[in-house]
Amino acid sequence: MAYDKPIPPHGQHTQPFWDGAKEGKLMLPRCTSCNRVHWYPRLICPFCHSTDIEWIEGSGEGRIHTYAVQHRAFGGWAKEVPYVTAYIDLAEGDRMLTVLRGVDPNDPESIKIGARVTVEFEAADEETHIPFWRVAEG
Amino acid sequence: MAANLSNAAAIVGAAESNDIGYPSERGLKVTSLQHHIEAIKNVTDLTGIPISDIQGVFSAGWSSQLAEHLGLKPRYIDTTSVGGCSFQILVHHALSAIHAGIIDVALVSHGQAGWSYRGAGGGGGRNVPGEIDPATEMTMSYGVFGAPSNYAHAMRRHMHSFGTTPEDFAHVSVVTRQWAMLNPRAVMFSKETNPYGGPITVEDVMNARLIAWPLTLYHCCLVTDHGGAVLVARPEIARSLRTNPVWIAGAGESMGHSNMLEMEDFTATSASRSSATAYEMAGLGPDDMEMAMIYDSFTITAAITAEMLGLAPRGQGHTLWKDGHAAPGGRLPINTNGGGLSFNHSGMYGMQLLVEAYRQLSGTAEDGVNGIEGKQTNARTCVVNGTGGTLSTTGTLVLTAD
Repeated sequence: MAYDKPIPPHGQHTQPFWDGAKEGKLMLPRCTSCNRVHWYPRLICPFCHSTDIEWIEGSGEGRIHTYAVQHRAFGGWAKEVPYVTAYIDLAEGDRMLTVLRGVDPNDPESIKIGARVTVEFEAADEETHIPFWRVAEG
Repeated sequence: MAANLSNAAAIVGAAESNDIGYPSERGLKVTSLQHHIEAIKNVTDLTGIPISDIQGVFSAGWSSQLAEHLGLKPRYIDTTSVGGCSFQILVHHALSAIHAGIIDVALVSHGQAGWSYRGAGGGGGRNVPGEIDPATEMTMSYGVFGAPSNYAHAMRRHMHSFGTTPEDFAHVSVVTRQWAMLNPRAVMFSKETNPYGGPITVEDVMNARLIAWPLTLYHCCLVTDHGGAVLVARPEIARSLRTNPVWIAGAGESMGHSNMLEMEDFTATSASRSSATAYEMAGLGPDDMEMAMIYDSFTITAAITAEMLGLAPRGQGHTLWKDGHAAPGGRLPINTNGGGLSFNHSGMYGMQLLVEAYRQLSGTAEDGVNGIEGKQTNARTCVVNGTGGTLSTTGTLVLTAD
């Protein structure tokens, strides 16, 4: 079935991210001046304000920072309710939003803040493979 | 070192538009512009300041249209729109403009047919067609829709960090409803005004429909129509009017983030900074506050903000409501109009906070429209805090009465 949820257009400066995603790689922007990874992608490093930013391949590892269970949604997401949204602390630093996989939305208390998660990609269309995160431990 | 703006101006009147709440359910079609104009007419009638004396026009996105509609040629135009706290921030800006000697009288206005024209768009995207900002690009795929779906993450993190429970936060909703039951203009005043109105219990909150766990419907604010306006004037004018001045003793603003992705601590907002600025300007602290008006878009918003304002220890904001301190008869009345949870919430609620703070402190205890009695406290000091976006931006005012 065709992917029926919002598919982001590719920005002017984020093509390396989408190219990596097609190959199953989580590409992250890193400042070559202060060496810190930031997310979302910037035109200028939010930490040291250098404009020398490179893309590195991330580990695809992270931990749950916080989460919620969505019971009210629109468009393609409406038929998926309830589902779990989460903010993920990346192993490389900074934070990413996701819809969490491998969890029971009807038992929210069973989801553990701090639990290890790994990234996986879903092909929304030929050019856009979207990262989602899955709980890696029981 | 910045100049001290304390008491350089006062709020000299506050009023609402005529038909707030759910006017479309009563067969009325009230536009956002109409809410603005009615409130402006009412506040100028109340104070006796003619519209033609307004020199500065302050609103969240409407200022050029309002000035044109009123036939004004303002010498100060500010249309800062950073969510529901815009009106606290606009009062700060009006104070600054008056202190600087640029203007003597400022209008701060709000009108939003949040219910009647819901879903009509007009949110105002930041991107021109064909362009996307990277924060949107990297978050739009993940099924997060609007405020409740985001704020739920903050409550969950607060529960993790401080051992709080959804029941703890439910008390905010229960107590705020008690205030609404004292305010005939509140949407949830009674079962007669709304089938969901009248008293509620913690169990009612917990058993309400889930919106975004841990938030149920009753942890969430209303969506209604509302308009309001305040006039801000320099002291010589403020003392010459028939209305009582409410002094802007302190004001501050700050922000943490725009996209919630960038919220460093999900249990804290920039109100710690905006209130520190406001308290310092006022020479007053949280212990000096006799009431508080705190933006309650969600129960978690009010609880966290109480912590940021220093009214409760970290992790304990909810106890002000749970232990009855914030309730009618309590030591620190909070959200005496019934709050965004039970009075009215048009989308950007900050003006409703200002109108109620003025009503209580000015001693008039009238809404400026129908003269309904509404005095709930003898407070002479009030901290007002707006929160905009997704716990993003904050504006704090410390207000005092003579």
